[in-house]
Amino acid sequence: MRFIFGAQMAWHGVAVNPLRSGLTMLGVAIGVASVISLMGIGEGARLAVVRQFESLGSNVIVIKAHDAKAEFQPEEARELVERVSGLRYASPVTRTNAVMKWRRARGQVDILGVSSDFPQLRDHKLVSGRFFTPWHVEQRSPVAVLGYNIGAGLLGGRSPVGQTVTLNGQTFRIVGVLEKKGEGQGEGIDDKIIIPYTTAMKIAGKRTVDEIWVKAESAKAADLAIAQLGRIYRRKLGLDNKAPVPTGGEQKQGETPGEGPGTGKPVEPKPAPAPETPGKDSTPGLELGKDIITITNLNTLVEEADKANRVMTLLLGGIAAVSLLVGGLGIMNIMLVAVTERTGEIGVRRALGAKRSDLLMQFLLEALYLSGMGAAAGTAAGLWGVGIFNRYGLTAVVSLEAVKVAVLVALGCGLLFGVYPAWTAASVPPVEALRR
Amino acid sequence: MPLIELRGITRWYRNGRVVINALSDIDLAVGKGEFVTIMGPSGSGKSTLLNIIGCLDRPSGGEYILDGMRVERLSDDKLSEIRNRYIGFVFQSFHLLPGLDAMGNAELPLIYRGVGAAERRRRVRQALEAVGLSDRIHHKPSELSGGEQQRVAIARALAQEPLLILADEPTGALDSKTGRTIMELFRKLNAERGITIIMVTHDRDMARYGHRIVKLLDGRIKEEELVG
Repeated sequence: MRFIFGAQMAWHGVAVNPLRSGLTMLGVAIGVASVISLMGIGEGARLAVVRQFESLGSNVIVIKAHDAKAEFQPEEARELVERVSGLRYASPVTRTNAVMKWRRARGQVDILGVSSDFPQLRDHKLVSGRFFTPWHVEQRSPVAVLGYNIGAGLLGGRSPVGQTVTLNGQTFRIVGVLEKKGEGQGEGIDDKIIIPYTTAMKIAGKRTVDEIWVKAESAKAADLAIAQLGRIYRRKLGLDNKAPVPTGGEQKQGETPGEGPGTGKPVEPKPAPAPETPGKDSTPGLELGKDIITITNLNTLVEEADKANRVMTLLLGGIAAVSLLVGGLGIMNIMLVAVTERTGEIGVRRALGAKRSDLLMQFLLEALYLSGMGAAAGTAAGLWGVGIFNRYGLTAVVSLEAVKVAVLVALGCGLLFGVYPAWTAASVPPVEALRR
Repeated sequence: MPLIELRGITRWYRNGRVVINALSDIDLAVGKGEFVTIMGPSGSGKSTLLNIIGCLDRPSGGEYILDGMRVERLSDDKLSEIRNRYIGFVFQSFHLLPGLDAMGNAELPLIYRGVGAAERRRRVRQALEAVGLSDRIHHKPSELSGGEQQRVAIARALAQEPLLILADEPTGALDSKTGRTIMELFRKLNAERGITIIMVTHDRDMARYGHRIVKLLDGRIKEEELVG
């Protein structure tokens, strides 16, 4: 009863001076809105990067040769799945390009040669048709699966499956079209043509491939597989622990212990197996700064990018939090003014029987109303701001966590900065309050 | 037993090194249903005395017994409760809250008492009727004349159904004709409802509405005089 009334009285205190209340709320609202929108931008940037990496497929390990002499036999891909535990799919990869002719149009296109494991390996789906089969690969069949943009462009949206295109003069049957991944996602797969690696090797005129992709069953399996793959290729290059001494071929020593292009695990000689100090100096390959084979776990790329963006989000949030704090101080300021201005009112209420706790509650609730409404308005503005950012090309998302934190901090400020003025109000002796 | 009994009440303030004696050694008894006026020049301690009787201020020494209770040592919350249940205040400057209408102002004490809305409305309507303001229930103070505002203040006190009404120069801000209607209202409430009234004034004409006049000078009771 008393509480409901206190709530009404406090509301009255807010409503009786709309301009002042409005300005106070504005301070809080700006704080809340900036926390929500800035955190939204940070979070949006993070998600965009994460999504981009995720579009590459999960638990994928990329093995890449950077030297022609270290390139792989295509059969190695299958062997790896058998030898390394936890691996499920594998594909040799050949990248090349060709002149495509479609009816009377012609143009240069990127070709990706892969095995029939490709859709499962890189988490691709098809919008129409089917992917080519192991049999197609074996037969070096002239079949092609189109990236979404190419596929959609040929017949103005109708499925081109069953039609033919020519690549470098050879006729290919279109068997499927991949689902859209989005601009810049999945290494730009939307604009590529995917054919069996055997066929692609023929176009490129090569007998080896410079890339092998494998997919592990889980993130944990990927971590374990990386170590095992590292051992396999170290041995293959003659960098095995038992035979650490370079024997001639440049590719066997051209390892740096440093970072590869990604954050994966470059195959590297451990420093331990070369105990003799001159040994270190006598490996000029170390200074070349070039890896012969890199093994990269795409999962770790995601994690790194995620971590970096998290820091940025926190930083933005911190800046916004300062403005929220300033808004809270505004409440304190206005409440202190209100207490001074309304000493007479406090006196009358005390004379009529209000206890100190009644006044404490009234002024505290008033501060809470201001911060609460400010928080509500700020949330609305923040959400609106996120929408605006999105419309003008900035990826921003509404982070529920940011909303929660901002609103709680705003209410907390109201409560915290309302306590002192409310206490002051309640502590004025009634006689003195009435005299003013 | 008198409703109010003051024994040797003193009140002093410290102002830097100077101690100001506002009241010294006041003995006063007011019976139930009495209408007492306190008079005296400004600075004689009239208001201080009224504040102490109204439990708005505490005496520096002496005993104050209100309706059989020793009041001077009660807690702040207890004093709030006593003001709320026993005492209605009428001030010179009305002391109405500007944002509330007549109803809102008059129901304030009942709200702090925890009376339910329906009962509150009923009692406030009755009180406003008793002071002749039935048609001004939803007017705010700024829409009322001085006399009407003072009558809202009296209705606020009446709604409390108090034992005691304390009035501090209730006609001080009003013209003499309006002042007299307010005084008539007090006399009526005192006569018909038996409410004890203690009023501070420096106007002799107004003081004569009461039964007894207590004259203060320099914080002491100089003399008492029965009216009529």
